[in-house]
Amino acid sequence: MSTPAFQVRSRIPRFAEDAIERARLTVVPNRRTTTSRAPFLALVSMVLLGGVVGLLLFNTSMQQASFATTALEQQSTRLAAREQGLAMDLDRLRDPQRIAAAAQRLGMVQACSPAFLQLGTGKVTGAPCADSTPLRIYERAPVKPASLNPKPIIKHVPAPPSTTNSTANGTTANSSGDTATANAGRAAGDGKKKNQ
Amino acid sequence: MPATPSPRGTRRGSPQLRLRVGFVVIAMLLSVFGARLVQLQGLDPNSYAQMAAAEGLRTIDLPAARGDILDRNGEPLADSVDGLMIIADPRLTAPHAADLAAFLYKKLDIDYADTLAKLREHEVDGTEIRFEYIARRVPSTIATEVLAEADKRGYKGLTTERDPLRDYPAGDVGSNLVGFMGTDEPLAGFERTFNKQLSGTDGSARYEVGGGNRIPLGESTQTAPVDGQDLKTTIDLDLQWYTQRVLRQTVEDAGAESGFAIVMDTRSGGLLAVADDPTYDANDPTDSPKADLGSRALQDVYEPGSVEKVLTVSSLIDLGLVSPRTKIVVPPQLNREDRTIHDWFPHGTIPLTLAGVIAKSSNIGTVLAADKFKQGQLDAYLRQFGLGQRTDIGVRGETPGLLPPGNTWTHQTQDRIAFGQSLSVNGVQMAAAVNTIANGGVRISPNVIEGSATTDDGKVVGTDHTTRKRVVSAKAARETMLMMERVIDPDVGVAPGAAVPGYRVAGKTGTAQRVGAECGCYDGTDTVSFAGFAPADNPRFTIYVVVQNPATGGGGSVAGPAFAKIMSYALRRYAVPPTGTQPSRLPVDW
Repeated sequence: MSTPAFQVRSRIPRFAEDAIERARLTVVPNRRTTTSRAPFLALVSMVLLGGVVGLLLFNTSMQQASFATTALEQQSTRLAAREQGLAMDLDRLRDPQRIAAAAQRLGMVQACSPAFLQLGTGKVTGAPCADSTPLRIYERAPVKPASLNPKPIIKHVPAPPSTTNSTANGTTANSSGDTATANAGRAAGDGKKKNQ
Repeated sequence: MPATPSPRGTRRGSPQLRLRVGFVVIAMLLSVFGARLVQLQGLDPNSYAQMAAAEGLRTIDLPAARGDILDRNGEPLADSVDGLMIIADPRLTAPHAADLAAFLYKKLDIDYADTLAKLREHEVDGTEIRFEYIARRVPSTIATEVLAEADKRGYKGLTTERDPLRDYPAGDVGSNLVGFMGTDEPLAGFERTFNKQLSGTDGSARYEVGGGNRIPLGESTQTAPVDGQDLKTTIDLDLQWYTQRVLRQTVEDAGAESGFAIVMDTRSGGLLAVADDPTYDANDPTDSPKADLGSRALQDVYEPGSVEKVLTVSSLIDLGLVSPRTKIVVPPQLNREDRTIHDWFPHGTIPLTLAGVIAKSSNIGTVLAADKFKQGQLDAYLRQFGLGQRTDIGVRGETPGLLPPGNTWTHQTQDRIAFGQSLSVNGVQMAAAVNTIANGGVRISPNVIEGSATTDDGKVVGTDHTTRKRVVSAKAARETMLMMERVIDPDVGVAPGAAVPGYRVAGKTGTAQRVGAECGCYDGTDTVSFAGFAPADNPRFTIYVVVQNPATGGGGSVAGPAFAKIMSYALRRYAVPPTGTQPSRLPVDW
């Protein structure tokens, strides 16, 4: 297609060259691309598929993370509660009242006054000793009002007249004690009589 | 259109007809959708939006953790534990109520019969019951364990809800100061006074839930809770416990009504122990009478009696009016205008020095010495010692005491105030006043809060705000101390029981007549007390023991031994060695 142009250019004067060039312009034929559509389609479908699969995987992993979060949060709450529970137990064990009770069970007592051992010289200042009045760590049991705690009624019964002197002596001696002792005394008296 | 119908065309009918019918059907469907759309979006859009949101949206409170109340070493006096309430649905628990009740009784130590009734009765008067509290404030570890165990055994119908638990690990130790919590709000003590600081601010969270798990990209907002701050006190848990036990033993053995004991760090003014008796268990405040729930050491007024003589004579020495060797002739009784003043012990006319007046606790001798004051001088000194005004250490309901205004004093008022009657004080006030002598004449404001804290009323308290103010000269304080040492002397003093072997102890007894609540007059009962400090020449602790209305005994025999025990323990606990100097040998007579 460029061949005629060369021919013309050789025959005409140089000044008209441009004009002729313009006049001779022709339509360039539509060039058809013959590349196959397949790669493009494949690419688009790959992107689409990749996107969908990626989104799916991403979503799944987010869900997995959410499950893990929930599980870990529950575990954290459980452990925190456990820690608090244990701290509470520890505080209870550290309660001075409990320690004092345990110490008293072991037979420990308060000191009467402070005494010091000087570590450098080994000298003892003060005289270590046990407190004479032990510390009462529990509340004293309440005293019952008189109406709920009546005095035992003690009746002095004169000894029944007995036949032998020894029995009479036995009972009189015990009449000031309570009944059980009196009976015991009497039994003893009887025993004595039998022995005699 | 075609004249010859084909077999297929016949079956399908006319295409136009089909199209029309199809369009009509589609139009009908679309108009139904359109109408529904208008109904949903136009007429009542909000309620549907809410219903949709409620389906998966969850809003929960994020509770702020309540701050602990700690002693000076960081041991908790009060702490918070995650708690749960256990709730039963009687409709579900009724079939196996007996077994479940036995199981819960074993695990939670709750009343069997009560629980059984709750688990069984699912209908009362035709109304169905679906909710019963089984146990409240169960530590959440225990509650969760119990529920898991119940589930394993196949018991249905138990659930839990959050129910925070306030625990007082040491029970009654320091409870009068610490206070306690009600179901929802603090009811007494530091719990109430410092509630704002302790409680913090609750937060909240909103998120969408699907199948028990949070939806990752769903709505999610969170306001983080602001936890409460701890409150640190100057109390020493172990010393507080010991002080309370000694005090209880003293009050019980003396057959007394009540009592309190205060241990104060002489140098810092921090209160190491403030014990009250009778006291209460902060875990079970409802078990004790209401009168025992406060702090008597700060909320009760009483007349201090002879302990106040220490303030009178130190003021006199500070003014240069007397010295410990000032000779005073003490008559058997002293007639002052229309009243007669007696001493607690019968005597003839005796020659005592001022030191002897203190050692033997003579009212007459003190009154004669106090005659040297000019009008208003004693009043001014007592106010500087801190009497008549609140200590403001952060304890609610503190009484300012009662010191009559100086310009209303008559001669008789001064006479009585000079030996500690006709004026009222609270315990901490008086301990701080005696501590002034221990601290070389400088009054340190007492404190029970370590650092700084703000009460709900906006008052700032704590050791950071300690004030020091000279009241009497160092010389006056020292001479008063030397006289107070004679009180403990087994030969000349009235309180040999307050001695701590090996140490120099300075102290003063007090036996005051008590004003009865009913008659408003001296009703024949007494307040006996002992205040003192040790080691006398380099004091570390000031201890004040007060016992109200003992059946027998006075300041020296009831409060003195209690003082000695507590002081001995404090000196041992803080490893304070004896100073090794010779005790005071001031002459008591001439």
